[in-house]
Amino acid sequence: MSGDPRARRGGDHALFDELAVGWALHSLEPEDEALFVRHLPDCARCARTVSETSEVMAALAADLPAAEPSAQLGDRLRAAVERTEQVPLPAPDDTSDLAELDDFDEPVDEPAPPRRATGFPHYEHVSAASVPTPTPWRRLLPSLLVAAAVVVILALGTWNVMLSEARTSAESAAQQQSEVLHRVLQPGQATIARLADEAGHEVATVVARPESVQVVTDGLAVNDRTQSVYVVWGMRDSGAVPIGTFDVDRAQMDLSTVGSSDESGLDGYPAYAISLERGRSAPPVPSDVVARGQVTS
Amino acid sequence: MGAVSPPDRRSAEDLADATLVRRIRAGDRGAVDDLYERFRRPAFALARRILADDVLAEDVLQDVFLSVWRDPSAYDRARGSFASWLLAMVHHKAVDAVRREESQRRRQSRAGEELVLAAPVEAQDVEAEAWARVVSERVRSALGLLPAAQREALTLAYYGGYTQREVAALTGAPLGTVKTRMLAGMRRLKEELGGVAGGASLGGALGGPAPVDGSNR
Repeated sequence: MSGDPRARRGGDHALFDELAVGWALHSLEPEDEALFVRHLPDCARCARTVSETSEVMAALAADLPAAEPSAQLGDRLRAAVERTEQVPLPAPDDTSDLAELDDFDEPVDEPAPPRRATGFPHYEHVSAASVPTPTPWRRLLPSLLVAAAVVVILALGTWNVMLSEARTSAESAAQQQSEVLHRVLQPGQATIARLADEAGHEVATVVARPESVQVVTDGLAVNDRTQSVYVVWGMRDSGAVPIGTFDVDRAQMDLSTVGSSDESGLDGYPAYAISLERGRSAPPVPSDVVARGQVTS
Repeated sequence: MGAVSPPDRRSAEDLADATLVRRIRAGDRGAVDDLYERFRRPAFALARRILADDVLAEDVLQDVFLSVWRDPSAYDRARGSFASWLLAMVHHKAVDAVRREESQRRRQSRAGEELVLAAPVEAQDVEAEAWARVVSERVRSALGLLPAAQREALTLAYYGGYTQREVAALTGAPLGTVKTRMLAGMRRLKEELGGVAGGASLGGALGGPAPVDGSNR
């Protein structure tokens, strides 16, 4: 960076100025995000840059066509608020304490992770049974047209698409697999079951912990999520117990987290099975079992 | 509508927002209703632009307002206006959702996606509509003043939800260049938008030259 005038003026902090803007825009690559998230808690300048960027972003939002959500959304929200408890406040009415908390470790199961207030939304895990966030590369190719439409509509210019498809998919696969590994290898005891289809091919691995179950799929058919859903079942002598649902978005290795965090004992079955069901929820008993297997460890 | 209010109303609105947050912290469920009334339109406009899907956009809104209810202490008013924090959360969650949904979108007809994005939106009465138009004009002209490459990088990231590497691939620029363009573009927008975008500089990287000795670090 020594030849960069910004670097001379700002020391090596110019790098973080850039990352702060990218972070506020939620557009950083995972490695940059990891770097910045370690830096931010100790940097008042970056916290302010994030705030300033957020203010500009809010102004940009004002340039969108006005739109009104449906009337039902207000009712849905009210009902959801009614049945949702607040996380305990660390120190009610004393905001000064909030600055002492750390926001940046991704919470896994704790309801109220310690955090540092930054003036920016903290990361929250998607609810159980939703699909894990894919790596950014995954959406690049199909999005080209969307991007084109966005920019054309904004009438803000044009660009050249210069993209190597082969390189993209290779990077994509590598990143996805490393993410899968990272999430499966979180600390703690886990029960493992390998599930095979009727032909004996292993198509899924169930990683069960007391309060959550992860399914690594590799070769299960992609389902049409408007019409069907995969269901994970805990198998015991008295019958099958539905644990949760997931979708398969790609035939390559993928990871889904299923099961609700307020259940427990999800790791207590001698065997697990996966069925493909019509509709979007688990029936009382599995109809079309596509893979099953005993606990191996 | 703190994000589209005239500067002289900003502090009053920030105060009103702070009151709502305090009520939510005190466990007042009705305050979420009030918050929703206040921000549903700009929040929805942003989410549906990013997602190009009303149903998904509503899911994002529910998620956002519910998480403010669950954990109101996530907002620290020392760090900026509540409006900008809330809309940043809408942006963040909508971008997460568009990344999750991409494989689904892949199956849709591409022409369909274009149509959704191009579809005219229902015009609604908006509080302080005249001011909203002024802001909208100012934002448009501020964007217009940016060099095309900076504008492209910021609009792809903000309205399109693309990551920096995706923007780099889309625009044929090196990743480092994209990062620099985003910072430079934000600086310029901050300068042009001034009061619209939060008034005086808070002392971050957008407000002026980088610190001489990096002592802010």
